[in-house]
Amino acid sequence: MGMTPRSVALGIALIATFAAWAVLFLPGLSAPNTPSNIVRPYTPLEREGRVLYIKNGCIGCHTQYVRPEDWGYSALRVSQRGDYIYDRPHLLGSERTGPDLSQEGGQHSNDWNLAHFEDPRFVRPASIMPRFSFFTHQQMQAITAYVQCLGFKMADERMARQIYWHRRLLAAYRQGEDYNATFLASLVPQQWMSMPNPYAATQASVAKGKFVYQQMCIFCHGPVGDGNGPAARYLNPKPMNFTLLKRHRWSGGMIYYQVMNGITGSAMPYFKEDLESAKIWDVANYVAVNFIGRNVDSGNDLNGIPASIEAPIPGVKPEVPGAGTKVPVPGPARKVYPQRPSSSPQPARTPAAPGGRSRRH
Amino acid sequence: MAFRFIDTTPGSTARRFVISGAWWFVAGGVVGLTAATELVAPDLIGARVLIFPRIRPVHVNTMVFGFLSMMLIGAMLYAVCRLARRPLYSEKMGNVAMWIWNFSVLAGFLTIPAGFTTSHEYGEYVFPISVAIIVAIFMLTINVFQTLARRAEQLLYVTNWYAVGAFTATLIVFFFGKVMWHPKTSAMVGINDAEWAWFYGHNVFGTWITPLALGLAYFWVPREADNPLYSHAISLLGFWPYFAFYLQVGTHHLIEAPAQPWLKLIAEVNSVGLLIPVYAFLTNQWMTLRGRWWKIPDSVVLKFIFAGTIMYFFTSSEGTVEALPSFERIAHFTNVTVGHAHLGLLGFAGFIACGAGYGVLREMYGVIWSERLAQLQYWLMLIGIIGFTFVLTSVGLLQGLAWRNGETVYRVLPEIFSYYVERGVFGCFILTGAGIQVYNFLKTVYARRRRSEEEFFGLERVAAAPAALTGMAGD
Repeated sequence: MGMTPRSVALGIALIATFAAWAVLFLPGLSAPNTPSNIVRPYTPLEREGRVLYIKNGCIGCHTQYVRPEDWGYSALRVSQRGDYIYDRPHLLGSERTGPDLSQEGGQHSNDWNLAHFEDPRFVRPASIMPRFSFFTHQQMQAITAYVQCLGFKMADERMARQIYWHRRLLAAYRQGEDYNATFLASLVPQQWMSMPNPYAATQASVAKGKFVYQQMCIFCHGPVGDGNGPAARYLNPKPMNFTLLKRHRWSGGMIYYQVMNGITGSAMPYFKEDLESAKIWDVANYVAVNFIGRNVDSGNDLNGIPASIEAPIPGVKPEVPGAGTKVPVPGPARKVYPQRPSSSPQPARTPAAPGGRSRRH
Repeated sequence: MAFRFIDTTPGSTARRFVISGAWWFVAGGVVGLTAATELVAPDLIGARVLIFPRIRPVHVNTMVFGFLSMMLIGAMLYAVCRLARRPLYSEKMGNVAMWIWNFSVLAGFLTIPAGFTTSHEYGEYVFPISVAIIVAIFMLTINVFQTLARRAEQLLYVTNWYAVGAFTATLIVFFFGKVMWHPKTSAMVGINDAEWAWFYGHNVFGTWITPLALGLAYFWVPREADNPLYSHAISLLGFWPYFAFYLQVGTHHLIEAPAQPWLKLIAEVNSVGLLIPVYAFLTNQWMTLRGRWWKIPDSVVLKFIFAGTIMYFFTSSEGTVEALPSFERIAHFTNVTVGHAHLGLLGFAGFIACGAGYGVLREMYGVIWSERLAQLQYWLMLIGIIGFTFVLTSVGLLQGLAWRNGETVYRVLPEIFSYYVERGVFGCFILTGAGIQVYNFLKTVYARRRRSEEEFFGLERVAAAPAALTGMAGD
């Protein structure tokens, strides 16, 4: 048979039909949509949020599946076919300009999400996501509900923790800033409370910490660390006012612990996926030197394990070639940790707080 | 001559398709540049309909269905008529299809930012627009088939194979791929939906854009080089395996998604197999140019199309490598894919469309209004697309390797900022080229006397290179 219009059209139609059978119908027929162990149907509000997600083209930048090789932020579980049986249309996505969202539910609190939709740069200063401040209140509720359900039963578990801790944090916050600070410190394990910052607060360390602070923290905690960044008005409880910590028990380890793990229930996310350990220690130094006004490092320019636990040897100044100069800071000289015996984590009003000032009264 | 909504003069369908495509190139380019700028300055425009995620699909669809489809259809209708040595079967039907197509693209241009979208990549147009486009394709199919049925030249040249193949396969692909029996969502359920969506998404290029561009290269390269086509047998090798392989590669977009392993294997094997027809096509084109390389600088048409074939080599080879899991692990989800898409659609299909568009107008009006402007456009677009691809591939590898190294997406954003700026700069080159093209096209159409019908369908050029048109010389 020669190449005539009829023979070409017939041949191509046969090929196309065969291909449609092989790569469309066969996979559908051979793999029934059986639910996975985490999947659950969407609630009406989540479904409404999903429609918003589609209408606003979120799929252009966010994927919704975790690949076997993925690291980090939400790679808690490699996605399975059964996770998607309620999705029509699918929202797998093809481009990761923003992070993957398949396990996003419960990773952040609701007020973090609210601030993030109002202006993503409030909580993620380097973000290039557009603002969604044009959402109505109802739309904001819906899109947040949708984002908070991603991960399904795993997200529900995380959300239950968020809600429980949100209630407890709010109760503590309402009792005043000083009570709040003590309460938050009581949630940090003793070994972290008594740990000095193993990285000396050199100029280099503080400068690096500043860089990290500006990329991660500044719009909640504010440029002067008073917790009054532009995002603060969307958040409840408000971000921590670092300047307040002067009159409380605190340590480099405490800051590290809270930056690393976040404070579930508040808008403070965990940064252990975003930041390497050295960067968290640097940012702890920056916060200590600039906002609290005290040095919290071990007083040792040396690196290595002992540097974090050794007290400075009296009369011997450790000389390390190339080490930066110490930042002169006001306040009492360095303390040797542990500075006081570990007390009960039960929060109590600190007598150092004059009059027990509270923002609410 | 007064403007007529339905023009029945021979060649009007082809001309109007080509010029519409040139306009859409500018429109899509403006949207694309806006989107690229918003990646650097997300707060640039406050309007909700102009935020990046809403206009990105507008850019993609306007370029694919406005610019590329319309210019390639126009040039292909012209080529089919010339090869059949007959005017188009029905200019009236062709004109109607042209208006349907234009209004569909316009409707998509307005509805996607308003939030009407299926959220399937390359298939964002909602059901009514998809139906309109299928109707237009169906009308064009009938037109092409009827023209070919009345052809004066018995032998069916390769270009016609691609025209027939593209129209036939696309009707089938659109019907299944867009899930036409489910108008509300145009989607299946779950992972199955992803498989269907990528069958459609990949075949928009596989059975629609690329075959039209390949057919046009077969038409223009022998004509412009004044040399017979190298081999009829290689044409066959380039044609049938092309469709057989291409229609099954869609799942290579889902290599690490939870699709069935055997389906991924089919996609990978076919992606490698695709190199056979690609290299066959390229061999045929480049061997046709043997001894005639000096013709390339003289003819802006050949220049565009030859550059298009070179970029076809790169984009196809890259596409195969990207489909292999070892490289896919780094390139997936990154800007490597964006660079690949631009190299394929603009670098390959777009260059061939522009070259063929200039060719059609030159044949119709005797001369291009300004060859120098066309040359300038060529260089602007060439610098633009090469820079664009280089920047996006580099930044994509940077992203992929950083993620593989355990860095989060957020942490990599500041690292790729400067690349996004460069990308916008190269986008300006391309947009300037698009502007020059539409100016040049309109000047050609309005400033020159149109050739008479006898000249237009006369045989003088065919007589100059009969072997090139019948494709038999190589046998």
